Amino acid sequence: MLRLTRRRMVQLTGLGAAAIGLMLSIPAIGFLLSPLFQKTRETWVRVGALPDLTVDQPKPITLKVPSGEAYDTTPVDRIAYLVRKSDGATLVLTNTCSHMQCDVHFDPTLQQFLCPCHGGLYDVHGNNIGGPPPSPLPQWVHRLEPDPQTGQTILFVKNAYDESI
Amino acid sequence: MLRFATRPLSRRFRSGYRWVDERAGTTDLVHKGLYEAVPDRGAWAYTLGSATLVLIVLQFFTGIFLLLTYVPSFASAWDSLRFLQTSDRFGNWVRGMHLWSAYVLILVIGLHMLRTFLSASYKRPRELNWVSGGILFFLVLGLAITGAMLPMDNAGYWTTVVVTNIPHYLPFIGDAIRTLWRGGDFVGPITLTRTFAIHIWVLPFLLLALIGAHLYLLRRHGEFGAWVNYSTTTDDPDREIAERIRRAEPPYPTLRIERQYAAPRKTVGFFPNQLFKDTVVSIVLVAIIFVFGFIAGAPLDARADPATLTYVPSPEWFYLPLDQLLVLTPQTYLIAFGVFLLVGLGSLALILLPFYDRSPARRPLSRPEVLVPGLFLAFMVVILAVLGVNRLYGL
Repeated sequence: MLRLTRRRMVQLTGLGAAAIGLMLSIPAIGFLLSPLFQKTRETWVRVGALPDLTVDQPKPITLKVPSGEAYDTTPVDRIAYLVRKSDGATLVLTNTCSHMQCDVHFDPTLQQFLCPCHGGLYDVHGNNIGGPPPSPLPQWVHRLEPDPQTGQTILFVKNAYDESI
Repeated sequence: MLRFATRPLSRRFRSGYRWVDERAGTTDLVHKGLYEAVPDRGAWAYTLGSATLVLIVLQFFTGIFLLLTYVPSFASAWDSLRFLQTSDRFGNWVRGMHLWSAYVLILVIGLHMLRTFLSASYKRPRELNWVSGGILFFLVLGLAITGAMLPMDNAGYWTTVVVTNIPHYLPFIGDAIRTLWRGGDFVGPITLTRTFAIHIWVLPFLLLALIGAHLYLLRRHGEFGAWVNYSTTTDDPDREIAERIRRAEPPYPTLRIERQYAAPRKTVGFFPNQLFKDTVVSIVLVAIIFVFGFIAGAPLDARADPATLTYVPSPEWFYLPLDQLLVLTPQTYLIAFGVFLLVGLGSLALILLPFYDRSPARRPLSRPEVLVPGLFLAFMVVILAVLGVNRLYGL
């Protein structure tokens, strides 16, 4: 017959409980933390020909891009503000406020982007100029390529922001 | 056989009850639950705790019923609630009661805390009653804000976006917390599933455990009441107090407390005196919820539109002070160290109140060192709410 002191018994039970705890927590904690190690599935979307733009007049367009996160595969509507700068460069701004990620609205009378949630303000180029936002509006990761047949400038957008917010 | 059939119903019931009682000790249990001394004066103020309990039970009850239809998926959540609104009058009523009892619950918990604060009921040996109650308050706020996200209408969606983004400003671990809550960098399909799990399992589970602890501690030390229950009337207070302690009924005299506050001047039975008042308050509150749940119901905005160009979100009223604080603290460092430091220190100061307010004084006016900061804190919350209302609705 196995002879145990009470002290030894408590020690062994403690070890057993620790082993059970470990076996239960390794998969559970791994599961809990898994989003930290998952990569966003990158997708490039051909948006189409760049529309005519007036200098410093943001023009909203609707994109269909998949978020690429978890099991989400269907493209959803997203907004991009196209802005032509006076030097001819084109900005493809997101409408995601860098403060709390609300959708900003362009106010044509103020010529500013306003965030309806906490009053963030951005100029037409997306620079944060007032309220709580800590950084400019991020841009969509994008590229502009001439169409070999028609010669139009084609906008391609990736489902990612150029700055993390 | 004949004898059995002719026995009066009440006697048959009685013998059936005796059978159960001999095996389960139900009478003992009921006596333990009901026959307790409580302070005689101020009983209406002491109904707030039981009202809180009743409202939480109502939340569980209506919440479980909502699971009969609600679908926690980004694609279907709104449709399932829209279906209640258009085609299920009673389901929509249950949803209305779930919302309105949450509103009433937050107010009643606030009053319950206020009366505990003013009467200094949290002092030795009831510190853990206050600590468990304070954590329960924050659990209820957590339940309220996660509940507001679930409908996945425009209001719920933008609440989700903003609230799950707040942890991002925490130094070092903020981004990880945001990613874990959202199940990705942005609000996506897993965000709702996780918020739902937090709302119906994680927080209620903690809530039940802490309610058990809170009630156990209440029964262990007894209701404190307030200073009015402990004043002395004779020329010889020492003798009067000694007499009080000698004649005290359980759970008094309270141990590890100043002698004056060990036993109230006069007590009545929890049953029937206090229970009657508790019942009256609960009936009134449930009736309000019953009516408001039907007439006002629970609103449902348009389906969540992540690509809106015009929608202006407005937060739930109980979240408005914090939302206004976000407006007033610009830039990363102020958000990180302003909001988290202010809210964190404020919450900590609230929960740890019994550990720094240790004077024997019980009257509010003789405790200015906690009354003034407490009023200041409450005043700040009200000011933030007023500023928020002004910003959103333009007073």
